[in-house]
Amino acid sequence: MAVFEHFQNLYDIRLKPRLLRSLIRDRVPDEKHPFSKPSELSIVVSAVKNHGLLSESSREAVDPKHMENWKSSIDAWIERLLLLVSSKMPDKCWAGICLLGLTCQECSSDRFLASYSVWFQKLLAQIQPPSDSHFVKVASCASLADLFTRLSGFSNIKKDVTSHAGKLIQPVLKLLTDDSSGAVWEGAVDLLCSIINFFPSSVHRHYESVEAAIVSKIMSGKCDSNISKKFVHCLALLPRSKGDEDSWSLMLQKILISINVDLNDAFQGLEEETKSNEVIKHLVPPGKEPPPPLGGNKMQGETSNQATEMSEQLILHRISMLMLCCCRMLTNPYPAQVIVPVRPLLVLVGRVLMVDGSLSQSLLPFLTVMQREFICSELPLLHLCGLDLLTGIIKRVRSQLLPHAADVVRLLTEYFRRCALPALRVKVYSILRILLISMGVGMAQYLAQEVVSNALVDLDSIAHGCGEASSTPCSKAASEGLLLPSYRKRKHGTITGFSEEQQGGVGTEMEAVKGKPITPIAVQTAALQALEALLTVGGALRSECWRQNVDLLLITVATNASNGGWANEEKDIFLLSDEPTSTRTDFQLAALRALLASLLSPARVRPPYLSQGLELFRRGKQETGTKVAEFCAHALLALEVLMHPRALPLVNFPSGDHPDFGQGFNCKFPKNIFSSGLKNNSPFPRGILGKDEIEPESNDDELYSSWLGNDEETEASASIPDKHLESRQELSEKDGRLSTEDHQAEKHPSDLPAGAQFPKEGDRGATDAAHMETGGIKDSIMAQSERVQEIIPNNDVRLQDKDVMVPTGDLTANVVEPNKGKIESSGSDSSKATPALSSEINNKVLMAAADANALPSDQGSLLTTSIVIEKGKKLVLEYNSDASKDSFPDIVDGEPDSD
Amino acid sequence: MEVVIASSPVDAGIGCWDLHSGAEQLRYRSCTSTPHGLACVGQRFLVSSQLRDSSSSSGTILYWSWNKPQVEVKSFPAEPIHPLISNSDGTYIIGGGSSGAIYFWEVASGRLLKRWHAHYRAATCLFLSDDESLLVSGAEDGCIRVWSLFMVFDDIGMEMAKHPYEYSFSEHTLRVTDVVSGYGGCNAIIVSASEDRTCKVWSLSRGKLLRSIDFPSIIDAVALDPGEHVFYAGARDGKIYIAALNAESTPSNIYGKHIIGSLSDNSKGVTCLAFSMDGILLVSGSEDGTIRVWDAKTRNIVRIFRLAKGPINNVLVVRRPLYSNFQTSANSHASLSRRHVPLLPPPLSKYVNSTDEIVDSGAITVPQTPSSDIMDAPYLSSHVLTKQISELQQQSSAATGMEVDRLKLDCKRSLEMVQKWKEMFADLHKFCVDELLGNDQTQTQ
Repeated sequence: MAVFEHFQNLYDIRLKPRLLRSLIRDRVPDEKHPFSKPSELSIVVSAVKNHGLLSESSREAVDPKHMENWKSSIDAWIERLLLLVSSKMPDKCWAGICLLGLTCQECSSDRFLASYSVWFQKLLAQIQPPSDSHFVKVASCASLADLFTRLSGFSNIKKDVTSHAGKLIQPVLKLLTDDSSGAVWEGAVDLLCSIINFFPSSVHRHYESVEAAIVSKIMSGKCDSNISKKFVHCLALLPRSKGDEDSWSLMLQKILISINVDLNDAFQGLEEETKSNEVIKHLVPPGKEPPPPLGGNKMQGETSNQATEMSEQLILHRISMLMLCCCRMLTNPYPAQVIVPVRPLLVLVGRVLMVDGSLSQSLLPFLTVMQREFICSELPLLHLCGLDLLTGIIKRVRSQLLPHAADVVRLLTEYFRRCALPALRVKVYSILRILLISMGVGMAQYLAQEVVSNALVDLDSIAHGCGEASSTPCSKAASEGLLLPSYRKRKHGTITGFSEEQQGGVGTEMEAVKGKPITPIAVQTAALQALEALLTVGGALRSECWRQNVDLLLITVATNASNGGWANEEKDIFLLSDEPTSTRTDFQLAALRALLASLLSPARVRPPYLSQGLELFRRGKQETGTKVAEFCAHALLALEVLMHPRALPLVNFPSGDHPDFGQGFNCKFPKNIFSSGLKNNSPFPRGILGKDEIEPESNDDELYSSWLGNDEETEASASIPDKHLESRQELSEKDGRLSTEDHQAEKHPSDLPAGAQFPKEGDRGATDAAHMETGGIKDSIMAQSERVQEIIPNNDVRLQDKDVMVPTGDLTANVVEPNKGKIESSGSDSSKATPALSSEINNKVLMAAADANALPSDQGSLLTTSIVIEKGKKLVLEYNSDASKDSFPDIVDGEPDSD
Repeated sequence: MEVVIASSPVDAGIGCWDLHSGAEQLRYRSCTSTPHGLACVGQRFLVSSQLRDSSSSSGTILYWSWNKPQVEVKSFPAEPIHPLISNSDGTYIIGGGSSGAIYFWEVASGRLLKRWHAHYRAATCLFLSDDESLLVSGAEDGCIRVWSLFMVFDDIGMEMAKHPYEYSFSEHTLRVTDVVSGYGGCNAIIVSASEDRTCKVWSLSRGKLLRSIDFPSIIDAVALDPGEHVFYAGARDGKIYIAALNAESTPSNIYGKHIIGSLSDNSKGVTCLAFSMDGILLVSGSEDGTIRVWDAKTRNIVRIFRLAKGPINNVLVVRRPLYSNFQTSANSHASLSRRHVPLLPPPLSKYVNSTDEIVDSGAITVPQTPSSDIMDAPYLSSHVLTKQISELQQQSSAATGMEVDRLKLDCKRSLEMVQKWKEMFADLHKFCVDELLGNDQTQTQ
């Protein structure tokens, strides 16, 4: 018998039928024996899932005999299940239904397609009247939902399945209306959702009745919030069953009107009466019929009867559920093009958010204290829904928010100013974040002030280290007492400097907690995230007024967050329950992310807290295995580019340059001596400086490679004797001379015919030569030293220095000022040596340089070009291949073609 | 499919070629485009503003869908529109009028959302910054202005602001011919070209001129290297100059300061430039009616397309969605186009319509296919099973109900069993009695 067959290992296909048979034998109930342990079923489920016992497929080819064996065991399994489903004992029936659902999910496609309609009939019977066990109904609904989920993968039988699904709608609706158990409703609504999702057209015929059934459930307020949300979700999906624009718009319109009506009741006396008309005016154009009420006419009658006895509680429940429904309708994808009524939606959101429980003057007497108290207690929830709806609108209309953006921003900022509850503030911050990221710079300009001022307030308690703050009480909730020590400690740390660790922080945090408002950690996290978004999007444009403060704030917060912080993370996990631990990690992460944004966001000067930031990230990276470490590694990578900015040319660009020069040679020999000799010229910043003498620019950088090249050359020069040394030096010095030349060039009309530039360039060569002695030694010194401030003695030096410095990307004002001076002076003492001499020297030097080391930088390659001048084109090729400029030959070939 | 589309001021239609295979696609008919007057709206359709004889006061804007050569929609804005652009979502079309006004239309409804006076002279070019929140416009009087689109729509904010624009650059002395902006959000650079033979580089974050480059000839088109190492400037002398941004340059090479090389094919003036998605192929359109595709790396011509005898004034590289490909079978194509490609939107309206302000204001969203749902659709039954098992173990009411049912059935069956046993017992009893009695009788007999 097959059961006794040997199998090789866990993966052997022969094992599967064996396992399946023993499951059937031992764990799956049968008719004869009573079914005592339902928990056995979960063992069956996990065994089937883990081993793929029903999959009937194998990765490698197998003996058909084994496959046959497996197949027969599955046949036995299904036979048993069907037997169980028809069993009269409800528990066995239930077990059979559950396992059949599992089979729908797990079995092979062929088997599924062959038998799904049998299974469907079996399951359908179980949700209809004769059966009355809740368990069986719920399980059948779930199994049917799985059946349809699986069927959605087969497009070829769609028609057939749709008709099957159509048969299901009535019984499901019956379950919704007749049954009273929440569990059954839940199962039924889940099933309904799957059908609408996968086979929308099957619901088409029953559209109204489904809508009525669901709406009545939502309006009744009898089910718990979880199930209500499922109903809401289902209602939001419903228009998809028709799939056209009108049904979506109509549904949304009906819901909005319904919300509006309920709001009238809820906000009686709390707002001006005109408000409600405003929404209606936008929703229903004057002169048009309002749509039928939500859930059909019958529904309307019912609710209006109830209206009198409807409790405040119920109204608010309905409002929040319907708003959730709007939100779902907006965020769920819809297959047709629809018109989102942005204006009415915004007016509605505005209406909800503007009510803060204060009485409107004219309507004072209508409200009892009790009513008002209740409304006020429920308002935050309502506001939360309103904010969610706003998020939904923003997500849905994307770029089309533009015409309304100003309104949204005004609404939000006004609300933000008044909003004081943590959960709401978190939500507002998150909306601000979405707006900033999605709308870019323009939005950043609008929101910057608001975000910054609010974040400053919210982060004040941790950021505000010194002075008054150290004596003023810490603002932490008692519940967060455990988190306090570290924060406290950090405060003191900030004052004295980042390196300083404070002892005895534990003692201080027990100081009085009164006085300042308490800012929960979630709000602080959200504030940090909003700042991060702001810096990411709009850190450079018109940010002068807040940027400094924010940078300081963020480094302080990040330092504080880390100080007491991540060393204790492990401990925290044991000390605290899960939730605060996670928010604490979130907070640290948010602080680090915001710090990174502040370091990376464009600025004119070096980020003032760069080194502290680096230190923080380095420390954070050592927290092996944490999210913090992961992020710190990322941050260090990102900051590396800040240290060593690179303006990368298109692949092989430097050598791509050559053909041009080379070509130039062929026809216009003399000019190119100079152009190549003077090659290392005018990167962006110089041009800017030369141009309009504005403040130093840091948004551009020296080529990283030129920096390297400079360095290397200097080294090389040390090994070349005497005259070579000097002239060699001249070359490396050209880096420094750049601005000079720019300056000069400026004085000439720059669109001179090419030939006319000869003398000018000769002058320049001379300039270089004239400076070479002084430049020589300083230059090597320079290359070694990394700091600007150390080298002030000589003008030339400073220019050199600039080259060294610029790559670090933080050209500060005081570095550049002297440079300007230099530009003038060197401009005046140019043209002392003769052009001929300088060019000769130049070339010799170049030879030497090329011999000494094939320079990897583009400077190197340009050097080789000038050698060509003397040696001819052949040599160029040689040199270039030496320097492994691969693409060079290609280009030389290519050029004549294009001519 | 990445395609090159090109149009001409003479009526040569809009040419369309597959960039990589070189195969010519459909040619869209009857288009005499203005410079910078060709755009692709959200990959869905082509739009172009038309040159008109000066007699007619209104302008013309035409739409073509991808798969039909005829003009499908015609709009007649209040004045001739020169430059025309669309945002990447394809929700808005922005046009610059000959009076210097800028028009802002919503594509889906055709409504003119905004019209504002941007320049004193006709607008010549428009460009959206990379986050599409800032608009850069250039005009005939050499003025370049940067607009925040939010500000434009914020009437209240507009009143409070000193001036409606963010920046106004007036360093160019003659007509601005092209404006492009680079990568980097608020820290991006803007490169502009003008008939004064200069290109100027501006900082967006600072609103200042960074660099001015003099060219030997008038530059009509500018394209930024995607790495912003250099930019390419198409000149009227037929060369495409390469000018340094971050690249090093010799101040004094043959062309002038900052210009580090050129691409040249001895053609007539270069009027328009566009980069392909990979940032390597540079497409240029020329006065002689040809379109050249250059490899920016090797500086060779890779391909040449020919549109017409007359000049070309617009070249775009766009990704064309595959569903409009004709290879797809007629059937599936029909169903696709019915479901996913809505018919072209209505024509653009002439005036800002203030009367239906209250009713309108809907955002029209493009259809989304809920395709992902199927992939991540969860299977329910095992969840339900575990939930129910735990309920069973906790003896909840529903579980007890089922238990009761079971017990009832058990009880019933047991009763039946009892009945059976009873009957059997009775039978047996009777049998035994009969047997015994019978024996007795026989014995007694």
